[in-house]
Amino acid sequence: MSIKVFDPTYASGGAVFELAPRVTDLVGKTVGLISNGKRGTVQFFSAMEQQLLRDFGAGQVIIRTKANYSAPMEPEILAEASTWDVAFAGIGD
Amino acid sequence: MNFQSEIHTVEDALAAQEYFHSRKWTDGLPIIPPTADLVKAHLEWAMLEPDSLIGVEPVRARPIIAEKLAINSVMAGCLPMHFPLVVTAWTAMLQDEFLLHGASSSTGGCAILSIINGPTRKELGMDGTFNALGASDRATMAIGRAIRLALYNLMDVRPGEVDRSTLGHPGKISYCVAEDEENTAWVPLSVERGSPDGASVVTVMSAGAPRQIMNEWTTEPEQILETFVAEIKASMLHYSIWSGNFAIVVPPQLRSHFEKANWSKADIRQFVFEKARVTRGDWASCGKGMVVDERGEEVFRALPSSDDLLVIAAGGPAGGFGAVIPPWFGWKSRAVTMAVGACVDCEA
Repeated sequence: MSIKVFDPTYASGGAVFELAPRVTDLVGKTVGLISNGKRGTVQFFSAMEQQLLRDFGAGQVIIRTKANYSAPMEPEILAEASTWDVAFAGIGD
Repeated sequence: MNFQSEIHTVEDALAAQEYFHSRKWTDGLPIIPPTADLVKAHLEWAMLEPDSLIGVEPVRARPIIAEKLAINSVMAGCLPMHFPLVVTAWTAMLQDEFLLHGASSSTGGCAILSIINGPTRKELGMDGTFNALGASDRATMAIGRAIRLALYNLMDVRPGEVDRSTLGHPGKISYCVAEDEENTAWVPLSVERGSPDGASVVTVMSAGAPRQIMNEWTTEPEQILETFVAEIKASMLHYSIWSGNFAIVVPPQLRSHFEKANWSKADIRQFVFEKARVTRGDWASCGKGMVVDERGEEVFRALPSSDDLLVIAAGGPAGGFGAVIPPWFGWKSRAVTMAVGACVDCEA
């Protein structure tokens, strides 16, 4: 005799956001890098900034660092990010 | 009751095991199939409706409802009477200061330690004596597992998904201890942390694995605590130097020396607060000289204040052992204490 069981996973009820429009290149664009603030990210993001300017023609690169690398970015960073053309957010260790 | 979860049909309870394992809905151990009648019994015991909001995980903005917690609680092997403690632990975990997302996803690999106080311990048969940190009884094992299974299924905290732990530790299967209030004159942890005496209370902490100590060669409180402090300092140097909530577990043999000398938990906390500190330069003693730099004299305390040490009376009657339980990562996650049935964000 079969039994009926419940799905134990989170049910989101649908997507709550959609992806931003994609860019085709970075030439002249404002690119933001959101660092998690770990010690090892300093050199990495510095090198990435140079590469974006030199190799991809970015207009400017803005680096912002979270106060707590285990928590979301501060609202001020999020607000500023809305003015950028592209934002990179990830982790560095 | 009106449930919103999707329903799946399986051949029998044995088939349910493979069905759940194959979907990564369980932790590698068998589960109790979460049928409607079992889930309903959990909710009724806690006097909750399926859609009762337990809290909202602040980083991913995920609302956690009672129905889903009850499903995972059933799966973990909980009885309905265990469910209020699972609800309380999750309510505490969802507070901002606990930083659940960081604690459950970090490479640091901590687990959620739950410490239970109050009359519910005896009602549920929780035993804070023998094997207190290692599956001492059904209720502590099942409740600890329910907390973890719910992380799996409600926050996707599975290894390699949101759980990015490098190593983790065995407490991630179940990490729950009932304080041995009957065999001590000390005040319960919950009362030290501001809860009313006589209330059933859960304290949650983002915790590393327990580090066992032994000192059977003195009866002097200061010397016993020096051993605990040495282990705390070792954790600071070998793992993380940042201050936060540490817990120490003190079994009866060592407890008797403190109690004979009239040392309270507050005395212990103050002693450890003062003694548990290292300098940045001490890192050079364990292979971390590269990060000492010019700040070698800088002092780091284990505890921001004496209130941040959680002193827990637990353990079997014989043996001069104890344990230090370090924080996940300093002050990023703070221990939260909450009484069963406490109303969070209620109107006054």
